[in-house]
Amino acid sequence: MGLIVSKQELNLTSEEYAFLMSMSHYFNLVWHLVKRDFYLRHTGSALGVLWSLLVPVAQLGVLSFTFSSVIRVETADYPAFIYSALLPWTWFSSSLSSAGNLFFTHRDLLRRPAFPPSVLVIVNTLSHLIPFLLSLPLLYGLMGWYGRFVMWNPVTLLCLVLIQGFLIIGLSFVIATWNVFYRDIAPLVGTVLSLLFFLTPIFYRPMVEGEYRLLLELNPMVTLINSYRAVLFEGTYPEWQPLILIGGISILVCGLGYFIYKRQVSDVVDAI
Amino acid sequence: MPIAVNVENVSKRFRVQRNSPMTLRGYVQQLLNRKLDRVSNFWALRDVSFTVDNGRVLGIIGHNGAGKSTLLRLLCGLGRPTSGRIFNDGQVSGILELGGGFHSDLTGRQNIATIGILNGMTKSDWRAREQKIIAFAEMEEFIDQPVRTYSSGMYVRLAFAAATEFDPAILILDEVLAVGDQRFQKKCLDRIATFRQAGKTMIVTSHDAEQIQSLCDEVLVLEEGRAMMHGDPKSALSCYYDLMRQRTDKRIAQLSGGTAVAALIANQGNRQGTQEATISAVHIYDMDGRATNTVRSGEGLVVELEIRLMSPVRDAACTVGIFSNAQGKCFESGIPSVQAIFGSFSAHQTIRCEMKHLPLCAGCYFINIGLYPTDWAYRYDFHCEMYSLHIESHDRTTGTYTTGIVAVDARWNLKTHD
Repeated sequence: MGLIVSKQELNLTSEEYAFLMSMSHYFNLVWHLVKRDFYLRHTGSALGVLWSLLVPVAQLGVLSFTFSSVIRVETADYPAFIYSALLPWTWFSSSLSSAGNLFFTHRDLLRRPAFPPSVLVIVNTLSHLIPFLLSLPLLYGLMGWYGRFVMWNPVTLLCLVLIQGFLIIGLSFVIATWNVFYRDIAPLVGTVLSLLFFLTPIFYRPMVEGEYRLLLELNPMVTLINSYRAVLFEGTYPEWQPLILIGGISILVCGLGYFIYKRQVSDVVDAI
Repeated sequence: MPIAVNVENVSKRFRVQRNSPMTLRGYVQQLLNRKLDRVSNFWALRDVSFTVDNGRVLGIIGHNGAGKSTLLRLLCGLGRPTSGRIFNDGQVSGILELGGGFHSDLTGRQNIATIGILNGMTKSDWRAREQKIIAFAEMEEFIDQPVRTYSSGMYVRLAFAAATEFDPAILILDEVLAVGDQRFQKKCLDRIATFRQAGKTMIVTSHDAEQIQSLCDEVLVLEEGRAMMHGDPKSALSCYYDLMRQRTDKRIAQLSGGTAVAALIANQGNRQGTQEATISAVHIYDMDGRATNTVRSGEGLVVELEIRLMSPVRDAACTVGIFSNAQGKCFESGIPSVQAIFGSFSAHQTIRCEMKHLPLCAGCYFINIGLYPTDWAYRYDFHCEMYSLHIESHDRTTGTYTTGIVAVDARWNLKTHD
């Protein structure tokens, strides 16, 4: 993935050149580590990368069976309805659950001179995005099966992915840093995630009004999941107003997370 | 000469907490019991300053826990000094510890790729160097196996090859050269030599004092986090040995409740040690079992040590060496752990050291005998120049002579060409 540029060709000052080179180095590094992380997660298992696609599919099977055949929720094309929300949720929950032990599992990198640990958080977030992207064709296949052909809206989807990415990175910074000092954080995050799964409208359509609605929407994933569903399943545009608010919050969380990380990073390196 | 590394008044504090809470519950419990104030500070480094010029090799020696590894980690940019500053002029690469630096589930080749990318290389760059690294490490067979299956020797070979091939300006090696077989060590030393010629800077630590002396241009002695001395290898090493002596004295004072004990009596030479383990008697025999301190050059010698242990001492390291006034150390033989070699070590026993042939030149020598804790931190009992040994020459009437330490049976011949 080498980005080969020469200084003279582009007519740059040496500072600009150095900056470009360091950007290209950073890009190379992130890309290499994403591949490495992805490889490490799947090496040794017979099904390999298929696992990251199969788990949401299995979850989908159980949920659609329970809520269409056992409890009978009346929603059109129910499996596709769930799947469109399950994919971003899986990105969110799998990145945050592996964030806890992030610095421990990549101890070898933290032992290297001049390695910025913050890269790991970005790498972790990106490498859990891959199964999401790989599952998108499956989602569209499923929608086609039910005869749903909706507008393809990559720009809005990219916006949603960016907002969610900032949110995940911000939270991961906090989780990864604190878990080094208090190992309760990782199991705590696991528990909160499994509870949050039910409080997020993944397998149901939110129909709560009044005071409880406000309470539910304290969870930033509610707005994000609703927006994903609008784009992927309904083929419409999301409600912009709450989305912009969540976008602002995500960037704020990201900044705050980085601040917490930055304050403690040197202790992290000592404690690992 | 431009300065490659500049360390200015660097101190590093670790907060050591007894019963440190690893969990939130433990933290809250301690908070409720008001036990949190038991955090004690441990200063791993105190006000260390030094500079290394470009192209020099600095050795760092010090006893276990003196702060060597902490210093090297800071030089690598891992963690921040509590106070003080460190400047590096150029890219730092290094091997800090065995087991770190490589991911055990990845193959050697994949780990090389990661290191290459971390050193700012593009794919084509590290691809080009990959083969050289594998060849230098002699890892052709195993390079595609996961690193967890490697032996420690293979591990070090690969780590060393990768660290040096990626061309850092400053190379940091922590106790690396002690591992690996002799032949590979030689190879490493050769590469280090070319490194030096290229004007690169190196910082190494080693437990092997002689290796430090031969490898380094200058040596820094660390003791309890302080830089005691920074100078040429020879004077730094004598400072290091002197510190060991001081530590022993300090421990004697501790053991006897603050008052220094009277010096141990010796007929000649001197004796130093905490006496937690004592060499109570030393017998010297020739190979026929006669008690003597005179043997002929090339004949054998037996040194028998009677050792008494005070509890709780369970194990010790033991050395027997022969020294000459003129030449210094002729040789020394040692056991790093008596228990590991003989299985048991009871309160009172005798150790025999049998030297079948002593190929020493005729002259006067001393036998030095030492008993140390297994981490070599101080001395239990050290008999310095207390036992003389006389070596007599063979009365061979060949008209040749030999000087030096080793008596080599040199035969001279003359062949006349017609």
